[in-house]
Amino acid sequence: MTLVAASAVPSVKAARAWRARPGLMIAGALAFCAIVYLLPMLSLFGWAFQGPSGTGASLAQLSRLIGDDTYHYAFFTTFKIAAITTLICALIGYPYAYLMATTGPRLAMLLTAAVMIPFWTSVLARSLAWMILLGRKGIVNEWLTGWGLLERPAALLFNSIGVQIGMVHVLLPFMVLPIWSILSRLDPGLPRAARSLGASPAAAFIHVTLPLSLPGLAAGATLVFMFAIGFYITPALLGGPDDLTIASLIEMVVRDLLDWPFGAMLSLALLGLVALVFACGAAFAGAGRIAGMEGR
Amino acid sequence: MSLSSASPQPRINAGRSALWLLAGLTMLFLLAPIAVIIVVSFNDTTLFSFPPTRWSLRWYQALWESRAWREAGWFSLWLASLVALASLLIGVPAAYGLAKGRFPGRRLAEALLISPMVVPVIVLALGLYMLFSKLGLIGTPTSLFLAHTLLALPVVIVIVGAAFRRLDGSIELAARSCGASFPRAFWHIVLPAIRPALISAGAFAFLTSFDEVVLTLFLGGPRTTTLPKKIWESVKFELDPSLTAVSTILIIVSIAALLLVEVARRSRIQRLAKEVL
Repeated sequence: MTLVAASAVPSVKAARAWRARPGLMIAGALAFCAIVYLLPMLSLFGWAFQGPSGTGASLAQLSRLIGDDTYHYAFFTTFKIAAITTLICALIGYPYAYLMATTGPRLAMLLTAAVMIPFWTSVLARSLAWMILLGRKGIVNEWLTGWGLLERPAALLFNSIGVQIGMVHVLLPFMVLPIWSILSRLDPGLPRAARSLGASPAAAFIHVTLPLSLPGLAAGATLVFMFAIGFYITPALLGGPDDLTIASLIEMVVRDLLDWPFGAMLSLALLGLVALVFACGAAFAGAGRIAGMEGR
Repeated sequence: MSLSSASPQPRINAGRSALWLLAGLTMLFLLAPIAVIIVVSFNDTTLFSFPPTRWSLRWYQALWESRAWREAGWFSLWLASLVALASLLIGVPAAYGLAKGRFPGRRLAEALLISPMVVPVIVLALGLYMLFSKLGLIGTPTSLFLAHTLLALPVVIVIVGAAFRRLDGSIELAARSCGASFPRAFWHIVLPAIRPALISAGAFAFLTSFDEVVLTLFLGGPRTTTLPKKIWESVKFELDPSLTAVSTILIIVSIAALLLVEVARRSRIQRLAKEVL
């Protein structure tokens, strides 16, 4: 190996050029991101702290955000939706990921496909499907009343039930995949060792498997919570007037009220919250485990 | 071992069955909406009855005959293809640089390039709206191309970067020691070695653009109607059955992309197996 490496780099100069080149190869992507990503983020700051007549700096937007209860309500709603979504995703995602990691290859493949197909299917198409399923005359209500399980159709759409169902559907893969990733790499000898030392299956799970998989659970919970607080499409389509989230509020402020400075301030607040959630998650699970997930 | 595992065996099976029941219900929950919308799209009536009482392709025909939907479809296809191409062109070298390079600020650069993935899309949309309106780009295909590429780029960097990290660096060194220049070794040795990752990165970059709504709503105009944008506008107006047909098309494109990725991955595994045996 060292021999090959030595002959591959005939001179010190060539060695340096070879090692410098990978660094140069990120230049294109960096330039692109500087213009299409950093510049827009900076203009958000510009608008949010702009002075009253477009000059100077002011904290007027920030004090508006802090002072008004209507906006606090949107933050509260968003956090409530995100927390419930994260909890439900953890409760159904963990057992699912556990089976995915511990069953045979064929069944594991089936379980994986059932996660990956919705994961890469248009969120819009899926929200539409839920609208057809959950409406007052939707398929779920027709069947439930048809079988006599319900006397009258239940309100499942345009309220927080609809939002929760849609959110869990969109975000469940983000919980399952990191947990599966850590469980599938776990040495199966460890719980087996606990069993052979007399632990019951439940005890072996609680004292060995679960603690070792907690970083995966933390990464999943961080991803789900982080995406949930910024999500726009699902609450906008499946929610009612009471389900005003921060993302919907931003859209409303900018498009209906044309109030760019306040929209920018709300966006920065949302961005700050996402960063905070990411930082908390990274402290538990490690930033790499969270960022290693591909997703939308 | 056999003694200790013999007595609690029935209990594990009961636990396993409960797990499978839960997993089965979860699979139903995950796949039912997708299955239902596909089936409903073949309905003959304007009602969303399930299962359909009479089957027909009338909603697909209605789509095909509508010039607006056809144009939206072509525009989406073009846009997503260009976005996939562009994000591969700048993302693959960047992923290589991040995986193999040793330079100051590498981790910061990596964090910067991947972070658009976790920034809420609505925040990106507003920032880009402010920038693009200054540049007069709102409502142009260019604005959507740039914005979608920003979302697709991290997808490419994550997938291809993982492949570069797994790749044995000595094959590249071997090519270089045989006299291949850096670009030559990169093009003829390194890239073919990670072909499955290139295919999946391209496919997922394509899907990222093909299914994108929020940026398109903010930055687009009448000239830049994509399929998702047209679905969004129609949903807000009324639930038209042709929407189930468009949704089915979006779903089929996604499944086709996933299958392509899977086939690319498997053919590589089979080739490797052949070489080893």
